[in-house]
Amino acid sequence: MLAQKIQKFMSLVFTFGLVMLMTQQVSAQAVPKASPTVTPQQGGTLVMVVQPEPPTLASFLSTAGPVGQVATKVYEGLLEYDFKLTPQPGLAKSWKVSPDGKMITFKLQENVTFHDGKPFTSADVKFTVLDVLKKSHPRGINTFRALQAIDTPDQYTAVFKMSEPAPYMLMALSGYESPMLPKHIFEAGDVTKHPNADLPIGTGPFKFVEWQKGQFMRFDKNPSYWKKGRPYLDRIVARFIADGSTRAAVLETQEAHIAGFNAVLPVDVRRLEKLNHIGMTTRGYEMQSPIVELDFNTRTKPFDDVKVRQAVAYAIDRKFVVDNIWFGFGRPATGPINSNFKANGLYTADVKNYNVTNGIEMANKLLDEAGYKRGADGVRFEITHDITPYGEEWRRFGEYVAQQLGKIGIKVTLRQEDVPAWLRRVYTNYDYQLTNNWIQTLADPVIGVHRLYHSGSIRQGTVFVNGTRWSTPETDNLMNQAAVEMNSKNRAKIYHDLQKRIVDASPIVFVHELDFVTVHNKKVQNFLVSPLGLYSTFDQAWLQK
Amino acid sequence: MVVSRLQYIRRRLLLAVPIIFFIIVLNFLLIQIAPGDAADVLAGEAGSATPEYMDQLRRKFGLDQPIYVQLLTYVSNVATFDLGFSFRHNKPVSELILSRLGPTLLLMVSVLLISVSMGILLGAIAARYLNRWQDITISTVVVLTYATPVFWAGLMLIVLFSVKLGWFPTSGMEKIAAFHTGIARIIDIAHHMVLPVITLTLFYIALYTRLMRASVIEQNTMDYVTTARSKGLGEKRVLWGHILRNACLPVLTMAGIQAGALLGGAVVVETVFSWPGLGLLAYESLFARDLNLLLGIFFISACLVVLVNLAVDLLYASLDPRIELK
Repeated sequence: MLAQKIQKFMSLVFTFGLVMLMTQQVSAQAVPKASPTVTPQQGGTLVMVVQPEPPTLASFLSTAGPVGQVATKVYEGLLEYDFKLTPQPGLAKSWKVSPDGKMITFKLQENVTFHDGKPFTSADVKFTVLDVLKKSHPRGINTFRALQAIDTPDQYTAVFKMSEPAPYMLMALSGYESPMLPKHIFEAGDVTKHPNADLPIGTGPFKFVEWQKGQFMRFDKNPSYWKKGRPYLDRIVARFIADGSTRAAVLETQEAHIAGFNAVLPVDVRRLEKLNHIGMTTRGYEMQSPIVELDFNTRTKPFDDVKVRQAVAYAIDRKFVVDNIWFGFGRPATGPINSNFKANGLYTADVKNYNVTNGIEMANKLLDEAGYKRGADGVRFEITHDITPYGEEWRRFGEYVAQQLGKIGIKVTLRQEDVPAWLRRVYTNYDYQLTNNWIQTLADPVIGVHRLYHSGSIRQGTVFVNGTRWSTPETDNLMNQAAVEMNSKNRAKIYHDLQKRIVDASPIVFVHELDFVTVHNKKVQNFLVSPLGLYSTFDQAWLQK
Repeated sequence: MVVSRLQYIRRRLLLAVPIIFFIIVLNFLLIQIAPGDAADVLAGEAGSATPEYMDQLRRKFGLDQPIYVQLLTYVSNVATFDLGFSFRHNKPVSELILSRLGPTLLLMVSVLLISVSMGILLGAIAARYLNRWQDITISTVVVLTYATPVFWAGLMLIVLFSVKLGWFPTSGMEKIAAFHTGIARIIDIAHHMVLPVITLTLFYIALYTRLMRASVIEQNTMDYVTTARSKGLGEKRVLWGHILRNACLPVLTMAGIQAGALLGGAVVVETVFSWPGLGLLAYESLFARDLNLLLGIFFISACLVVLVNLAVDLLYASLDPRIELK
């Protein structure tokens, strides 16, 4: 990905006839462009609905969705990203990857201060990444596994030194994924129970003011923000409303301006979007890339048999699911990598296609071949299908699956539990046969996809890893290669191969790519400036008077 | 009189100690039956985790200890009025509960006062005009409101009064973006309270009205009522002066019992109206397996119920001097 960016940049360099750098220097404008047509208006309070209420503001310890929506207004990352998923300058104004890929040199923005007035320097970067993210961040432990040291030759230079190339690391440096913390605050005491966890002090455009649990969080404009003239808003208030219908009502009555991540339920979106003052978008989730899927327990009968798993994959009409259960918010999935990754070439649709019109016929044939003959009552075998407890639609999806599998002679009993019980069943006790699920494939396959298929990710008791316990030496090998491959073309080729093999083995039925919806008041401008969507700082967002 | 009353209160409070202790232990054990723990939930919400991260969480929460050790630690902490620490919220449990107790009590006390007094009034009127149009109207309406699911009533009130008419805010306890202070804040909170209080009152008022009506009808046949009538007192005087105080007793008993249920019943209203109360907190902490917090809320609720029942017993004695406090 970086290599691709570099290629593009180099061609630009030659176009302008500037032969000046043989190093892989990336430098870009310090600030992404604002919408050119309208002049932003200053002032106003933006009220956003965040669902559910975040458990904490410590985004360096929790990657929970709602935490990201609020903490990113306070903490920033070294990098930002554009819609092509290429890194852009953030707190780092430029960066350089060594030819062997084992060293990245970041040059930091100067004149950046934390909200308490202390300067942001390379010491903060070193502390945050090595002492916090690499040790205690749920994904950082993996992202920075290869990172061994960070040198700080001067205040504004941080040199990351790795044991092997880690191209994916550059995709994980946003303010959401890797927030930069003030060393002078967090170095004292245990960072996992630090008193400042809920009193964040960052470099971002908004300062944390207060959190009334169960009600709201308040963030006020940071007048000494390092991007001059920003932010435009005076204040951001995040409201927490437990009931879905009430969340729709506050947008309708204009008590709140914006709600993302399906805080307004799909069923209400279709009603609200008809109102004059309401807009909606499914963009801004390109670095989440969730996929709705059916997970098999591949270690027990009957789903230890690849033919049975393929039969289930054939039995699901993906378009029907998207249109009727998810109100059209999504598109059929083809494999483990979301089609958002078309943008950087990693995605391929050239895999075994289960989404065919004669799916039921194919499924029946496969089950016959697998030796599961129909009994006198037409039933081949019975299973229990677990339903992920994240909302109404999952129950309906489960009912649909039960109905489809009935057509191919699999009798299904549905089971629904609450979140902790379900997680325990699937990821600790492995006491399930088939469960529906949804997984965010995140900013890079190394971070979001490998965990689901690599044998090294079969980790009992750890949630959202390889719970199907399927793996092969060949696919492990491909993932190991992709993790260190610097050349983007080769990397894409490896991933194309990986997608084919995984889809063939069908340890998971890839049903559809879920679109999150952001519903907003049309007065809110410029909130969508990067694939990070609501996880961006909102430094450019403004309210029309 | 005052001395004996104080002694009575002291004895009742002492008796409450073993009850509450038993409740704590029972709650603790019941909660253990639920599969999954707080680490599962936190990591689940994160959408991703590494084994190192999960181990860190469990160590931090003390979940790596055997259950009896966890129970002993908890009970000994509570004995020193330390309700423990909510790791999920990164705050002491007592602080969390105190911040939520206010809004819940505000809602509860308003609902209880309004529904009990309205219930007594409506019940008495219904009984006074037994089987006439007043009685039939009141009885029909309260059965209707009782049969309406609370969440639906709440949502319909929001649709009508907030979305269509725009008279009241949809949800919350205060106007979020305004940050009012002083008198303006009190008015603002009262404004926000109207719909949730109506929603809950509609439900509870039915109970008290029915009870009061039955109670008045029963008292009506008592000898003392016949005596009062034969003294030549008017029906009004008989009802409001003689029957009412006696007829109130079962209603108050019910209100005492309901105080506990109200805390639980508030969950629905707190959810629909996004009222930052204890019920919602309990609901969330159950699904988050935030055991310290959940146990803390149970503990506080148990204490509240004990206190309310004590208050009702004291009220009995003042309503009906024949009842002695022993």
